[in-house]
Amino acid sequence: MNEIMAIWAEWIKPSAGLPTVQWSILLALAAAAGHLVNRYTGLPKVIGYSAVGTFAGLAGFTGAAWPLQGTGLFLLELGVAVVLFEAGGRIPLRWFRHNPMVLVQSLAESTLTYFGVYWLLGLMGVPAVVAESLALVAMAASPAVLSRVAIDTRAAGPVTERALVLSTLSTLYALTLCSARAGMLPRGEAGLSDTLLPVLVVLGLSVVVAAVLALVLRTALRVMSPTSENTAILLLSLIAAGAALASNFGGSAPLAALLGGMLLKQLNPRPWSWPRQMGTASSMLTMLMFVLVSVVAAQADWSRPVASLVLGLVVVRMIAKVAGVSLGNAGSGTSWRQGLWVGCAMSPMSSVALLLVSQYVAASSSIGGQVAVIALPAILLMEMLGAVLATVALYRAGECSRPWSPVVRGASTGPVHES
Amino acid sequence: MSLEPFQKSSALSLGVELEMQLVNTHDYDLAPYAEDMLRLMSKIALPGAVVPEMTSSMIEVSTGICHSSAEVLGQLTQIRDALVKSADKLNIAVVGGGTHPFQQWHERRIYDKPRFRELSELYGYLSKQFTIFGQHVHIGCPDADTALLTLHRMSRYIPHFIALSASSPYVQGQDTAFDSARLNSVFAFPLSGRAPFALTWDEFTVYFNKMAHTGVVKSMKDFYWDIRPKPEFGTIEIRVFDTPLTIERATALAGYVQSLGSWFMNDQPFMPTEDDYLVYTYNRFQACRFGLDAVYVDPATGGHMPLREHILMTMAQIERHAHRLDASASIHLLRTSVERNDNDARWLRERQGEERLLAEVIRQAADRFRGGVDHEPGGFS
Repeated sequence: MNEIMAIWAEWIKPSAGLPTVQWSILLALAAAAGHLVNRYTGLPKVIGYSAVGTFAGLAGFTGAAWPLQGTGLFLLELGVAVVLFEAGGRIPLRWFRHNPMVLVQSLAESTLTYFGVYWLLGLMGVPAVVAESLALVAMAASPAVLSRVAIDTRAAGPVTERALVLSTLSTLYALTLCSARAGMLPRGEAGLSDTLLPVLVVLGLSVVVAAVLALVLRTALRVMSPTSENTAILLLSLIAAGAALASNFGGSAPLAALLGGMLLKQLNPRPWSWPRQMGTASSMLTMLMFVLVSVVAAQADWSRPVASLVLGLVVVRMIAKVAGVSLGNAGSGTSWRQGLWVGCAMSPMSSVALLLVSQYVAASSSIGGQVAVIALPAILLMEMLGAVLATVALYRAGECSRPWSPVVRGASTGPVHES
Repeated sequence: MSLEPFQKSSALSLGVELEMQLVNTHDYDLAPYAEDMLRLMSKIALPGAVVPEMTSSMIEVSTGICHSSAEVLGQLTQIRDALVKSADKLNIAVVGGGTHPFQQWHERRIYDKPRFRELSELYGYLSKQFTIFGQHVHIGCPDADTALLTLHRMSRYIPHFIALSASSPYVQGQDTAFDSARLNSVFAFPLSGRAPFALTWDEFTVYFNKMAHTGVVKSMKDFYWDIRPKPEFGTIEIRVFDTPLTIERATALAGYVQSLGSWFMNDQPFMPTEDDYLVYTYNRFQACRFGLDAVYVDPATGGHMPLREHILMTMAQIERHAHRLDASASIHLLRTSVERNDNDARWLRERQGEERLLAEVIRQAADRFRGGVDHEPGGFS
């Protein structure tokens, strides 16, 4: 592969540079693969994107080197920030006042995931500091994968909504704790006050950026129509600026975007119409994010011990999420069966997890490296398998039609579903 | 299957059914939460009943047997408060209105119940287009013949009911130019429209048996008439109302029907004739299209007059009955709105004129439905 690239680089001198051409072709292939997977299997397009990224990564594609940095890292941060901003906007805080059990479900599943993964990895001989870091990463479910699955299978309903909200909240905890923990890695072990302070710093700085973002957008929405394309562009541009600034100040870009979405929903309870306007631009950004994640994650070294650790982590994480959601299910407004499917729908792990691992690697190459050895294969596995599990969960919950039936031409007699 | 006997009910007793919309609180599109709402509502002690409707973003609530509009309001208030509480728990909202302004019918999901599946197979896309929301008012009749006589007298006032309750100007994101576009969806059903002109239960039984013999109908449920007898309750059921945006207006409409019923049963003001129906469809169309600005053709005289004036004239005629039934507040609410040329369709259009965003109109309509329940002001303007 590298030889071919070298010959190619000699042969052509594209105006925007060879990486641009490579990435453009890779994205074109991913778009086609996503479409074909959806067209002929009925499964979500994200599986096609990830498959292309995985093949490229395994074939030694050089467009995204691990650890991520520069433009690649920024694009990943931006993609995650856009998804999390929108996901944050789906969380009205008043809901927790009317239904505090949702918060209980969220805290229970995240806490159980943390302790479950930490316990298992410790049992399997992983050093405590690595196990702890991986346990924090494992808390984050992927609202990005889940929302793409919901869009592709046209799923809607209480399980879809609840799983999206709980995934977003778990991401919020993981972003806060991991960002703080990564900041502490170079200093080694720390006491309680040393642990709390970085959490507050990350959270505080992210809240400041989030508040500025939300206030500017609120002001813009006073004079601009939420259905205008320009409003969508303004929004994307501001999130990009926020993402670049938040990291610079010591906060977390995705966390700032997530909190910005939540704050804007509080300040401006009017319906969110701009996601429809963001359309293709937003879709391309998220597709790029999925491809990037799988290209990078596929570069991990697989071995038998790593495989058993990854499988153990994935299984315990899933059990913990289902158990946590079920633990807080009583009085939460969903049935036990729905609680089970919510837990299953939270299995994807993707871009946010990769970002968190990047933070660890940036903070300490030795510990970060050990975290990445286990985390990258787990992320790759759960980007694809997680998407399939989430699809099955939403189907079994009765919130989408049979997703693995290929799209057929002509009259359909199957169930009809809502967007 | 034969027609069941007409049960006894107390004259002028009332029952109100409201079909409600369930919407999400994100983009305010319809949300398939009927099953979850039914589960939560079943845990709250309430008068009446809560049942599923054709598609999974709808829910139907009904009062028990009431004797006055005040009792209707009392029961609807309890039900409304429970609906709002359950919806808050699920992070959705409950809204009135005859249509959801921008939902796409093809995206709807049929509620999983044998009867709805059968109807869906028979009527195809019409069943999904039936994601429309109406108010039904039952009025108790002392016997079957009185029920049929009242039904045909009431038919002259169908345009009044339509114009007063109209709340469905928008369909599939477009202003239809109708005040009540909902009834156009009902008209597509083969057994919709007016009931056959039979003034005695014996005549009606003959008609029903003939229809049953053809195999087209099995029970009274198969008729989608604007007004139909409901023998198992001992009532007639008026089905042309759009679901209003507030329970206060729903109650006022019930009070208006009750007062009209009292006028018919006690004063016997006129005898209905088959010729009344010569102008029935035209008057119905006028009311759907123009609401309170419609023209009303008097079936008895053939004279034309503004529907608004005819409604006010009727209100004067039934005032005594309304007073006796303690329904004066209902008549007052409706009279005021007629005088202001104001109905829910107009409110929806005014909101859309202001906001230019139908989703925001729905959000404000959901706030309006909440009434006094933990009312949260609707953002900024």
